[in-house]
Amino acid sequence: MGKQMTEMLKGTLEGIVLATLAVQPAYGYEITARLREQGFADIAEGTVYALLVRIEQRGLVDVAKVPSEKGPPRKVYSLNAQGNEYLDEFWKAWNFLTERIERLNHDTEHPQEEGD
Amino acid sequence: MAAEWIEQITGSFEDKKRWRQYKARKKQLPASYRTAIDGIERYLMYAGSIVKGDVFLQMLEDLADLIERAAVDGTPIRDIVGDDPVDFADTFIQNYSDGQWINKERKRLTDAIDQAADDEA
Repeated sequence: MGKQMTEMLKGTLEGIVLATLAVQPAYGYEITARLREQGFADIAEGTVYALLVRIEQRGLVDVAKVPSEKGPPRKVYSLNAQGNEYLDEFWKAWNFLTERIERLNHDTEHPQEEGD
Repeated sequence: MAAEWIEQITGSFEDKKRWRQYKARKKQLPASYRTAIDGIERYLMYAGSIVKGDVFLQMLEDLADLIERAAVDGTPIRDIVGDDPVDFADTFIQNYSDGQWINKERKRLTDAIDQAADDEA
C-alpha cells in the first residue's frame, strides 16, 4: 500500500472496524482477517488491536470473554448503542467528505464547465 | 493504614505484583515473540513517557494480551506489528495518554490560549 493510502486508512479505520462489528460481533484476529479478505491486505493485527483497546475504553463496544480451545479466552467485541450512534456520525462525516471530494474531482477534470 | 504510608515510600505493592506477573507472562512466550515484546516494551518505556504506574502497567498487560494471543494463534510477528513497528507502537501508546506527563503542559497551553482569547473579547 502506498503512503497516501496508509494515511487515509488511518483516519477511517475506526469507522471501518465499527462497521465490521455492526455486521457481526468478532474478536481481534477475525476482524483483521475479514478486513484482509475485503482488500485491506497490509493491515497489521496490532494496529487493529490498538484501535479495539481505544473503542473499548470509550465505551463504544461491549466485550465478552469467550473460552478458546487453546490459550487465554478471546475477547469478542460487539457494537453497543453508543457505538451505533458513533457509527452513524462516521457515515455522515464520510458522506460529507466523499461528496465534496467527488465535486472537486469533477471540477478538476472538467474545468471548462466551470461557471455554467 | 500502615500499608498506605509504607507504599508512599516503596511504591505501590499492587503495581509491583502486576509487574512481576507481567514478567512471568513474558517468560512463557516462544523466543521470537519474547524478542518482539521486549523490543516494543523498551520503546513504550521511552516514547510513552507515562508517569502513572497503573496506566503504564495497564499498557503492558494489554500488550501481553495481544502477543500471547498471537503466539497461540501462530500469527507471524510481521502480521502483528506491520511493516512499520514504530507506527504501530505510537498508535498503541495513544490509548494511554491519560498517564503522560505532557498532559499537564497540554492543559497549561489550552488554559493560556483560553485566557488570551478571553482578554481579547
